[in-house]
Amino acid sequence: MKKVRDYNDSVHFYGRLSMVFILIVFIGVPLSMCIFYNAWPKPSAVIKGLIPIAMLYYPTAVVEVLTYAPLLGTGGMYISFITGDISNLKLPCAIAAMNAAKVKPSSEEGEIISTISIAASSIATIVIVAICVFFLRPIIPIITDETSVFAPAFAHVLPALFGAIGAAYLLKYPKTVIAPLAVILLILAFSGQMQVGLLIPIGVIVAVVAAHFMYKAKLIK
Amino acid sequence: MTDFKEATFMYVIGLVVAVVVLAQAVFFLVKAWRRGKELGISVQDMKNTVVSIVMFSVTPALSIVATVVALAGALGLVLPWVRTLIIGNISFETAAASSAMSSYGLGSLSSEVTDPEIFSAIAWVMTLGSMLPLILIPIFLKTIQKKMGKTLAKDTKWADVIASAAFVGLISAFVGRAILGQGNIKTSPDVLTDGAGVLSVTALISSVVFMLILQKIADKRQIKWLDAFAMPISMFAGMGMVILAAQILPPEIAFFEWRG
Repeated sequence: MKKVRDYNDSVHFYGRLSMVFILIVFIGVPLSMCIFYNAWPKPSAVIKGLIPIAMLYYPTAVVEVLTYAPLLGTGGMYISFITGDISNLKLPCAIAAMNAAKVKPSSEEGEIISTISIAASSIATIVIVAICVFFLRPIIPIITDETSVFAPAFAHVLPALFGAIGAAYLLKYPKTVIAPLAVILLILAFSGQMQVGLLIPIGVIVAVVAAHFMYKAKLIK
Repeated sequence: MTDFKEATFMYVIGLVVAVVVLAQAVFFLVKAWRRGKELGISVQDMKNTVVSIVMFSVTPALSIVATVVALAGALGLVLPWVRTLIIGNISFETAAASSAMSSYGLGSLSSEVTDPEIFSAIAWVMTLGSMLPLILIPIFLKTIQKKMGKTLAKDTKWADVIASAAFVGLISAFVGRAILGQGNIKTSPDVLTDGAGVLSVTALISSVVFMLILQKIADKRQIKWLDAFAMPISMFAGMGMVILAAQILPPEIAFFEWRG
Protein backbone atom coordinates (compact mmCIF):
# COMPACT_ATOMS: atom_id res chain seq x y z
CA MET A 1 0.00 0.00 0.00
CA LYS A 2 2.89 2.32 0.84
CA LYS A 3 4.27 1.97 -2.67
CA VAL A 4 1.03 3.26 -4.21
CA ARG A 5 1.20 6.45 -2.21
CA ASP A 6 4.85 6.85 -3.07
CA TYR A 7 4.24 6.72 -6.79
CA ASN A 8 1.34 9.15 -6.66
CA ASP A 9 3.19 11.58 -4.39
CA SER A 10 6.24 11.53 -6.60
CA VAL A 11 4.10 12.19 -9.69
CA HIS A 12 2.67 15.22 -7.91
CA PHE A 13 6.15 16.38 -6.90
CA TYR A 14 7.68 16.13 -10.38
CA GLY A 15 4.46 17.29 -11.98
CA ARG A 16 4.45 20.49 -9.96
CA LEU A 17 8.15 21.05 -10.48
CA SER A 18 7.95 20.56 -14.24
CA MET A 19 4.80 22.64 -14.59
CA VAL A 20 6.26 25.63 -12.74
CA PHE A 21 9.46 25.34 -14.78
CA ILE A 22 7.52 25.19 -18.04
CA LEU A 23 5.42 28.16 -16.92
CA ILE A 24 8.63 30.17 -16.56
CA VAL A 25 9.83 29.07 -20.01
CA PHE A 26 6.38 29.89 -21.36
CA ILE A 27 6.46 33.46 -20.05
CA GLY A 28 10.04 33.66 -21.27
CA VAL A 29 8.86 33.36 -24.89
CA PRO A 30 7.18 36.79 -25.26
CA LEU A 31 9.65 38.31 -22.78
CA SER A 32 12.70 37.25 -24.77
CA MET A 33 11.03 38.48 -27.96
CA CYS A 34 10.61 41.91 -26.41
CA ILE A 35 14.22 41.98 -25.25
CA PHE A 36 15.68 40.65 -28.50
CA TYR A 37 13.71 42.92 -30.82
CA ASN A 38 13.70 45.75 -28.31
CA ALA A 39 10.00 46.02 -29.00
CA TRP A 40 7.99 46.64 -25.86
CA PRO A 41 4.26 46.80 -26.45
CA LYS A 42 2.31 49.26 -24.32
CA PRO A 43 0.94 47.41 -21.27
CA SER A 44 -2.40 49.13 -21.87
CA ALA A 45 -2.59 47.60 -25.36
CA VAL A 46 -1.78 44.14 -24.04
CA ILE A 47 -4.35 44.46 -21.27
CA LYS A 48 -6.95 45.74 -23.68
CA GLY A 49 -6.30 42.73 -25.92
CA LEU A 50 -6.25 40.36 -22.96
CA ILE A 51 -9.51 41.35 -21.25
CA PRO A 52 -12.00 39.83 -23.75
CA ILE A 53 -9.81 36.71 -23.96
CA ALA A 54 -9.50 36.37 -20.18
CA MET A 55 -13.23 36.86 -19.67
CA LEU A 56 -13.91 33.91 -21.94
CA TYR A 57 -10.99 31.60 -21.24
CA TYR A 58 -10.21 32.03 -17.51
CA PRO A 59 -13.58 30.62 -16.38
CA THR A 60 -13.17 27.91 -19.03
CA ALA A 61 -9.77 27.04 -17.57
CA VAL A 62 -11.24 26.62 -14.08
CA VAL A 63 -14.05 24.41 -15.39
CA GLU A 64 -11.58 22.38 -17.45
CA VAL A 65 -9.26 21.71 -14.54
CA LEU A 66 -12.20 20.52 -12.41
CA THR A 67 -13.82 18.46 -15.20
CA TYR A 68 -10.66 16.74 -16.36
CA ALA A 69 -9.10 16.05 -12.94
CA PRO A 70 -11.09 12.84 -12.40
CA LEU A 71 -10.77 11.75 -16.04
CA LEU A 72 -7.11 12.19 -16.90
CA GLY A 73 -5.47 10.82 -13.77
CA THR A 74 -2.57 12.47 -12.00
CA GLY A 75 0.26 12.02 -14.51
CA GLY A 76 -2.12 12.71 -17.37
CA MET A 77 -3.18 16.04 -15.89
CA TYR A 78 0.38 17.33 -15.60
CA ILE A 79 1.25 16.35 -19.16
CA SER A 80 -1.95 17.20 -20.99
CA PHE A 81 -2.43 20.66 -19.54
CA ILE A 82 1.02 21.49 -20.90
CA THR A 83 0.52 20.20 -24.40
CA GLY A 84 -3.19 21.00 -24.71
CA ASP A 85 -5.69 19.51 -27.18
CA ILE A 86 -7.21 17.66 -24.25
CA SER A 87 -10.81 17.02 -25.25
CA ASN A 88 -10.05 16.34 -28.90
CA LEU A 89 -6.90 14.24 -28.51
CA LYS A 90 -5.42 13.45 -25.08
CA LEU A 91 -8.60 12.35 -23.35
CA PRO A 92 -9.84 10.21 -26.28
CA CYS A 93 -6.37 8.60 -26.31
CA ALA A 94 -6.58 7.81 -22.61
CA ILE A 95 -10.12 6.42 -22.95
CA ALA A 96 -9.19 4.32 -25.98
CA ALA A 97 -6.05 2.95 -24.34
CA MET A 98 -7.76 2.01 -21.07
CA ASN A 99 -10.56 0.36 -23.03
CA ALA A 100 -8.13 -1.64 -25.20
CA ALA A 101 -5.95 -2.67 -22.25
CA LYS A 102 -9.13 -3.58 -20.33
CA VAL A 103 -8.18 -1.64 -17.20
CA LYS A 104 -10.54 0.40 -15.03
CA PRO A 105 -10.10 4.15 -14.98
CA SER A 106 -10.26 4.37 -11.20
CA SER A 107 -7.57 1.72 -10.64
CA GLU A 108 -3.83 2.27 -10.48
CA GLU A 109 -3.41 0.23 -13.67
CA GLY A 110 -5.79 2.72 -15.28
CA GLU A 111 -3.63 5.59 -14.05
CA ILE A 112 -0.52 3.97 -15.58
CA ILE A 113 -2.11 3.19 -18.96
CA SER A 114 -3.67 6.65 -19.10
CA THR A 115 -0.32 8.33 -18.33
CA ILE A 116 1.50 6.21 -20.91
CA SER A 117 -1.10 6.97 -23.59
CA ILE A 118 -1.17 10.71 -22.93
CA ALA A 119 2.64 10.94 -22.85
CA ALA A 120 2.91 8.89 -26.05
CA SER A 121 0.31 11.06 -27.74
CA SER A 122 2.10 14.25 -26.69
CA ILE A 123 5.44 13.01 -27.97
CA ALA A 124 3.94 11.75 -31.23
CA THR A 125 2.10 15.01 -31.80
CA ILE A 126 5.16 17.17 -31.16
CA VAL A 127 7.29 15.08 -33.51
CA ILE A 128 4.66 14.86 -36.26
CA VAL A 129 3.89 18.59 -36.12
CA ALA A 130 7.59 19.50 -36.17
CA ILE A 131 8.30 17.25 -39.15
CA CYS A 132 5.31 18.54 -41.09
CA VAL A 133 5.85 22.21 -40.30
CA PHE A 134 9.54 22.24 -41.12
CA PHE A 135 10.09 19.56 -43.72
CA LEU A 136 6.79 19.04 -45.44
CA ARG A 137 5.70 22.64 -45.56
CA PRO A 138 5.10 22.73 -49.33
CA ILE A 139 2.91 19.61 -49.18
CA ILE A 140 0.73 20.56 -46.22
CA PRO A 141 -1.45 23.14 -47.98
CA ILE A 142 -2.18 20.58 -50.71
CA ILE A 143 -3.52 18.13 -48.13
CA THR A 144 -5.36 20.60 -45.94
CA ASP A 145 -6.53 22.98 -48.66
CA GLU A 146 -10.27 23.44 -48.87
CA THR A 147 -10.36 22.00 -52.38
CA SER A 148 -8.30 18.88 -51.65
CA VAL A 149 -10.02 15.49 -51.54
CA PHE A 150 -8.91 15.10 -47.91
CA ALA A 151 -10.45 18.36 -46.73
CA PRO A 152 -13.91 16.96 -45.88
CA ALA A 153 -12.27 14.20 -43.82
CA PHE A 154 -10.27 16.75 -41.84
CA ALA A 155 -13.39 18.78 -41.14
CA HIS A 156 -14.95 15.67 -39.60
CA VAL A 157 -12.07 14.11 -37.67
CA LEU A 158 -13.95 14.46 -34.38
CA PRO A 159 -17.15 12.60 -35.37
CA ALA A 160 -14.98 9.76 -36.71
CA LEU A 161 -12.85 9.70 -33.57
CA PHE A 162 -15.74 9.84 -31.12
CA GLY A 163 -17.79 7.42 -33.20
CA ALA A 164 -15.11 4.77 -32.65
CA ILE A 165 -14.79 5.51 -28.95
CA GLY A 166 -18.53 5.96 -28.49
CA ALA A 167 -19.24 2.55 -30.02
CA ALA A 168 -17.07 0.83 -27.43
CA TYR A 169 -18.82 2.66 -24.60
CA LEU A 170 -22.27 2.20 -26.07
CA LEU A 171 -21.71 -1.56 -25.95
CA LYS A 172 -20.48 -1.49 -22.38
CA TYR A 173 -22.80 1.10 -20.85
CA PRO A 174 -25.93 1.34 -23.02
CA LYS A 175 -28.08 2.74 -20.20
CA THR A 176 -25.60 5.39 -19.12
CA VAL A 177 -25.54 6.91 -22.61
CA ILE A 178 -29.25 7.80 -22.73
CA ALA A 179 -29.48 10.73 -20.31
CA PRO A 180 -26.43 12.80 -21.34
CA LEU A 181 -26.99 12.30 -25.07
CA ALA A 182 -30.67 13.24 -24.76
CA VAL A 183 -29.86 16.42 -22.80
CA ILE A 184 -27.08 17.42 -25.22
CA LEU A 185 -29.33 16.90 -28.25
CA LEU A 186 -32.11 18.87 -26.59
CA ILE A 187 -29.75 21.78 -25.89
CA LEU A 188 -28.39 21.70 -29.43
CA ALA A 189 -31.90 21.61 -30.90
CA PHE A 190 -32.49 25.04 -29.38
CA SER A 191 -28.99 26.44 -29.49
CA GLY A 192 -27.02 24.75 -32.26
CA GLN A 193 -24.09 27.12 -31.86
CA MET A 194 -23.18 25.94 -28.37
CA GLN A 195 -19.54 24.85 -28.33
CA VAL A 196 -18.10 21.60 -26.97
CA GLY A 197 -16.26 23.60 -24.29
CA LEU A 198 -19.62 24.22 -22.65
CA LEU A 199 -21.28 20.97 -23.72
CA ILE A 200 -18.60 18.79 -22.11
CA PRO A 201 -19.15 19.89 -18.49
CA ILE A 202 -22.92 19.69 -19.03
CA GLY A 203 -22.66 16.18 -20.49
CA VAL A 204 -20.31 15.02 -17.73
CA ILE A 205 -22.52 16.36 -14.91
CA VAL A 206 -25.73 14.91 -16.40
CA ALA A 207 -24.08 11.53 -17.02
CA VAL A 208 -22.59 11.34 -13.53
CA VAL A 209 -25.80 12.35 -11.76
CA ALA A 210 -27.93 9.99 -13.87
CA ALA A 211 -25.48 7.12 -13.36
CA HIS A 212 -25.43 7.74 -9.62
CA PHE A 213 -29.22 7.44 -9.35
CA MET A 214 -29.37 4.43 -11.66
CA TYR A 215 -26.68 2.74 -9.56
CA LYS A 216 -28.57 3.49 -6.34
CA ALA A 217 -31.78 2.20 -7.95
CA LYS A 218 -29.80 -0.90 -9.03
CA LEU A 219 -30.59 -0.27 -12.70
CA ILE A 220 -26.90 -0.49 -13.55
CA LYS A 221 -24.02 -2.18 -11.80
CA MET B 1 16.97 41.50 -43.98
CA THR B 2 15.19 38.26 -43.28
CA ASP B 3 11.71 38.38 -41.83
CA PHE B 4 12.00 38.92 -38.07
CA LYS B 5 9.12 36.51 -37.48
CA GLU B 6 11.19 33.65 -38.82
CA ALA B 7 14.64 34.75 -37.70
CA THR B 8 17.10 32.23 -36.25
CA PHE B 9 16.35 33.69 -32.83
CA MET B 10 12.70 32.63 -33.11
CA TYR B 11 13.73 29.11 -34.08
CA VAL B 12 15.99 28.93 -31.04
CA ILE B 13 13.06 29.89 -28.81
CA GLY B 14 10.91 27.26 -30.48
CA LEU B 15 13.56 24.60 -30.06
CA VAL B 16 14.00 25.36 -26.36
CA VAL B 17 10.26 25.12 -25.74
CA ALA B 18 9.97 21.91 -27.77
CA VAL B 19 12.82 20.24 -25.86
CA VAL B 20 11.43 21.22 -22.45
CA VAL B 21 7.91 19.99 -23.27
CA LEU B 22 9.21 16.75 -24.83
CA ALA B 23 11.43 16.11 -21.82
CA GLN B 24 8.47 16.30 -19.46
CA ALA B 25 6.41 13.85 -21.51
CA VAL B 26 9.34 11.42 -21.85
CA PHE B 27 10.03 11.64 -18.11
CA PHE B 28 6.47 10.69 -17.19
CA LEU B 29 6.33 8.01 -19.87
CA VAL B 30 9.40 6.29 -18.42
CA LYS B 31 8.14 6.72 -14.86
CA ALA B 32 4.73 5.23 -15.66
CA TRP B 33 6.31 2.43 -17.69
CA ARG B 34 8.50 1.39 -14.72
CA ARG B 35 5.60 1.54 -12.31
CA GLY B 36 3.49 -0.44 -14.79
CA LYS B 37 6.11 -3.22 -14.79
CA GLU B 38 6.10 -3.25 -10.99
CA LEU B 39 2.33 -3.57 -11.02
CA GLY B 40 2.58 -6.51 -13.40
CA ILE B 41 1.09 -4.89 -16.50
CA SER B 42 2.48 -6.83 -19.45
CA VAL B 43 5.11 -5.06 -21.51
CA GLN B 44 3.25 -6.16 -24.64
CA ASP B 45 0.13 -4.34 -23.43
CA MET B 46 2.11 -1.17 -22.83
CA LYS B 47 3.82 -1.45 -26.21
CA ASN B 48 0.48 -1.94 -27.92
CA THR B 49 -0.82 1.11 -26.10
CA VAL B 50 2.03 3.27 -27.37
CA VAL B 51 1.82 2.09 -30.99
CA SER B 52 -1.95 2.39 -31.18
CA ILE B 53 -1.86 5.85 -29.58
CA VAL B 54 0.75 7.04 -32.06
CA MET B 55 -1.56 5.91 -34.89
CA PHE B 56 -4.47 7.57 -33.16
CA SER B 57 -2.60 10.87 -32.93
CA VAL B 58 -1.62 11.18 -36.58
CA THR B 59 -4.75 12.82 -37.98
CA PRO B 60 -5.40 15.18 -35.06
CA ALA B 61 -1.71 16.15 -35.35
CA LEU B 62 -2.25 16.97 -39.02
CA SER B 63 -5.17 19.18 -38.01
CA ILE B 64 -2.79 21.00 -35.68
CA VAL B 65 -0.37 21.42 -38.58
CA ALA B 66 -3.23 22.92 -40.57
CA THR B 67 -3.81 25.52 -37.86
CA VAL B 68 -0.12 26.42 -37.83
CA VAL B 69 -0.22 26.87 -41.58
CA ALA B 70 -3.42 28.93 -41.30
CA LEU B 71 -1.84 31.35 -38.83
CA ALA B 72 1.54 31.40 -40.56
CA GLY B 73 0.38 33.92 -43.14
CA ALA B 74 -0.04 36.63 -40.52
CA LEU B 75 2.39 35.53 -37.81
CA GLY B 76 5.11 33.58 -39.58
CA LEU B 77 5.73 29.92 -38.97
CA VAL B 78 7.50 29.88 -35.62
CA LEU B 79 5.16 31.64 -33.18
CA PRO B 80 2.08 29.55 -34.13
CA TRP B 81 4.25 26.44 -33.89
CA VAL B 82 5.53 27.37 -30.42
CA ARG B 83 1.97 28.05 -29.38
CA THR B 84 0.78 24.60 -30.44
CA LEU B 85 3.51 23.11 -28.23
CA ILE B 86 2.00 24.59 -25.08
CA ILE B 87 -1.79 24.50 -24.59
CA GLY B 88 -2.39 25.78 -28.08
CA ASN B 89 -5.59 25.34 -30.02
CA ILE B 90 -6.90 27.05 -33.09
CA SER B 91 -9.94 28.80 -31.70
CA PHE B 92 -7.96 30.24 -28.81
CA GLU B 93 -4.96 31.36 -30.88
CA THR B 94 -7.15 32.99 -33.50
CA ALA B 95 -9.24 34.76 -30.87
CA ALA B 96 -6.18 35.89 -28.91
CA ALA B 97 -4.33 37.16 -31.96
CA SER B 98 -7.37 38.99 -33.30
CA SER B 99 -8.06 40.56 -29.92
CA ALA B 100 -4.45 41.76 -29.57
CA MET B 101 -4.48 43.17 -33.09
CA SER B 102 -7.77 44.96 -32.58
CA SER B 103 -6.33 46.73 -29.54
CA TYR B 104 -3.85 48.23 -32.04
CA GLY B 105 -6.74 49.19 -34.30
CA LEU B 106 -5.87 46.49 -36.81
CA GLY B 107 -8.46 44.41 -38.56
CA SER B 108 -7.92 40.70 -38.82
CA LEU B 109 -5.44 37.93 -39.27
CA SER B 110 -5.66 38.07 -43.03
CA SER B 111 -2.84 40.61 -43.29
CA GLU B 112 0.77 40.00 -42.35
CA VAL B 113 2.04 41.49 -39.08
CA THR B 114 5.10 43.61 -39.86
CA ASP B 115 5.64 45.52 -36.60
CA PRO B 116 7.70 43.68 -33.93
CA GLU B 117 5.84 45.58 -31.21
CA ILE B 118 2.44 44.29 -32.36
CA PHE B 119 3.97 40.86 -32.87
CA SER B 120 5.16 40.70 -29.27
CA ALA B 121 1.85 42.13 -28.03
CA ILE B 122 0.13 39.20 -29.75
CA ALA B 123 2.57 36.78 -28.11
CA TRP B 124 1.84 38.32 -24.70
CA VAL B 125 -1.93 38.08 -25.08
CA MET B 126 -1.65 34.47 -26.23
CA THR B 127 0.61 33.61 -23.29
CA LEU B 128 -1.25 35.46 -20.54
CA GLY B 129 -4.60 34.28 -21.88
CA SER B 130 -3.75 30.59 -21.71
CA MET B 131 -1.43 30.17 -18.74
CA LEU B 132 -4.03 29.95 -15.95
CA PRO B 133 -4.11 26.11 -15.78
CA LEU B 134 -0.33 26.10 -15.27
CA ILE B 135 -0.91 28.10 -12.09
CA LEU B 136 -4.08 26.32 -10.91
CA ILE B 137 -2.86 22.75 -11.31
CA PRO B 138 0.37 22.93 -9.27
CA ILE B 139 -1.56 24.64 -6.46
CA PHE B 140 -4.87 22.76 -6.38
CA LEU B 141 -4.62 19.40 -8.17
CA LYS B 142 -3.29 17.40 -5.23
CA THR B 143 -6.04 18.69 -2.93
CA ILE B 144 -8.75 18.09 -5.55
CA GLN B 145 -7.58 14.53 -6.17
CA LYS B 146 -7.23 13.74 -2.47
CA LYS B 147 -10.82 14.81 -1.85
CA MET B 148 -12.00 12.83 -4.86
CA GLY B 149 -9.90 9.82 -3.91
CA LYS B 150 -11.50 9.68 -0.45
CA THR B 151 -15.02 9.78 -1.88
CA LEU B 152 -14.22 7.19 -4.54
CA ALA B 153 -12.43 4.81 -2.18
CA LYS B 154 -15.61 4.28 -0.12
CA ASP B 155 -17.25 2.17 -2.83
CA THR B 156 -15.01 1.09 -5.68
CA LYS B 157 -17.87 -0.31 -7.73
CA TRP B 158 -19.67 3.01 -7.51
CA ALA B 159 -16.39 4.73 -8.42
CA ASP B 160 -16.13 2.69 -11.62
CA VAL B 161 -19.70 3.55 -12.56
CA ILE B 162 -19.10 7.26 -11.97
CA ALA B 163 -15.76 7.33 -13.83
CA SER B 164 -17.23 5.57 -16.87
CA ALA B 165 -20.27 7.86 -16.76
CA ALA B 166 -17.99 10.91 -16.90
CA PHE B 167 -16.38 9.54 -20.07
CA VAL B 168 -19.79 8.85 -21.54
CA GLY B 169 -20.77 12.47 -20.79
CA LEU B 170 -17.77 13.78 -22.70
CA ILE B 171 -18.38 11.46 -25.63
CA SER B 172 -22.05 12.56 -25.72
CA ALA B 173 -21.00 16.18 -26.19
CA PHE B 174 -19.06 15.35 -29.35
CA VAL B 175 -21.56 12.84 -30.69
CA GLY B 176 -24.35 15.36 -30.08
CA ARG B 177 -22.52 18.03 -32.04
CA ALA B 178 -22.02 15.64 -34.95
CA ILE B 179 -25.78 15.02 -35.03
CA LEU B 180 -27.24 18.47 -34.33
CA GLY B 181 -24.44 21.03 -33.99
CA GLN B 182 -24.23 24.14 -36.10
CA GLY B 183 -21.02 24.55 -38.10
CA ASN B 184 -18.49 26.94 -36.71
CA ILE B 185 -16.65 28.69 -39.48
CA LYS B 186 -14.92 31.10 -37.16
CA THR B 187 -12.88 28.47 -35.34
CA SER B 188 -11.65 26.79 -38.48
CA PRO B 189 -11.04 29.44 -41.09
CA ASP B 190 -8.99 27.15 -43.28
CA VAL B 191 -11.26 24.15 -43.55
CA LEU B 192 -14.78 23.44 -44.68
CA THR B 193 -17.53 23.94 -42.17
CA ASP B 194 -17.78 21.25 -39.58
CA GLY B 195 -21.50 21.43 -38.85
CA ALA B 196 -23.84 18.50 -38.46
CA GLY B 197 -24.84 17.17 -41.84
CA VAL B 198 -24.49 14.29 -44.24
CA LEU B 199 -20.71 14.15 -43.88
CA SER B 200 -20.55 14.37 -40.09
CA VAL B 201 -23.16 11.64 -39.72
CA THR B 202 -21.34 9.53 -42.33
CA ALA B 203 -18.17 9.83 -40.25
CA LEU B 204 -20.00 9.03 -37.03
CA ILE B 205 -22.04 6.07 -38.24
CA SER B 206 -19.31 4.43 -40.29
CA SER B 207 -16.75 4.59 -37.49
CA VAL B 208 -19.35 3.19 -35.06
CA VAL B 209 -20.11 0.32 -37.46
CA PHE B 210 -16.42 -0.44 -38.11
CA MET B 211 -15.72 -0.39 -34.38
CA LEU B 212 -18.57 -2.79 -33.59
CA ILE B 213 -17.44 -5.20 -36.30
CA LEU B 214 -13.76 -5.08 -35.36
CA GLN B 215 -14.51 -5.47 -31.66
CA LYS B 216 -16.69 -8.47 -32.42
CA ILE B 217 -13.94 -10.09 -34.51
CA ALA B 218 -11.33 -9.37 -31.85
CA ASP B 219 -13.49 -10.91 -29.12
CA LYS B 220 -14.57 -13.95 -31.12
CA ARG B 221 -11.17 -14.84 -32.49
CA GLN B 222 -9.28 -13.64 -29.41
CA ILE B 223 -7.01 -11.38 -31.47
CA LYS B 224 -5.22 -9.29 -28.90
CA TRP B 225 -3.56 -6.78 -31.22
CA LEU B 226 -6.88 -6.01 -32.85
CA ASP B 227 -8.21 -4.97 -29.44
CA ALA B 228 -5.54 -2.29 -29.32
CA PHE B 229 -5.93 -1.11 -32.89
CA ALA B 230 -9.68 -1.34 -33.45
CA MET B 231 -10.20 2.32 -32.50
CA PRO B 232 -7.59 4.01 -34.69
CA ILE B 233 -8.53 1.73 -37.60
CA SER B 234 -12.23 2.61 -37.19
CA MET B 235 -11.39 6.30 -37.06
CA PHE B 236 -9.44 6.11 -40.32
CA ALA B 237 -12.24 4.07 -41.86
CA GLY B 238 -14.76 6.72 -40.84
CA MET B 239 -12.64 9.44 -42.42
CA GLY B 240 -12.20 7.30 -45.53
CA MET B 241 -15.97 7.01 -45.86
CA VAL B 242 -16.26 10.80 -45.62
CA ILE B 243 -13.82 11.22 -48.50
CA LEU B 244 -15.71 8.60 -50.46
CA ALA B 245 -19.09 10.24 -49.78
CA ALA B 246 -17.76 13.66 -50.75
CA GLN B 247 -16.47 12.22 -54.01
CA ILE B 248 -19.42 10.03 -54.98
CA LEU B 249 -22.52 11.88 -53.78
CA PRO B 250 -23.71 14.99 -55.61
CA PRO B 251 -22.28 18.04 -53.78
CA GLU B 252 -25.68 19.41 -52.77
CA ILE B 253 -26.35 16.17 -50.88
CA ALA B 254 -22.85 15.43 -49.58
CA PHE B 255 -22.22 18.92 -48.20
CA PHE B 256 -25.75 19.41 -46.90
CA GLU B 257 -25.82 20.58 -43.26
CA TRP B 258 -29.23 20.66 -41.61
CA ARG B 259 -28.40 23.41 -39.16
CA GLY B 260 -27.11 25.76 -41.83
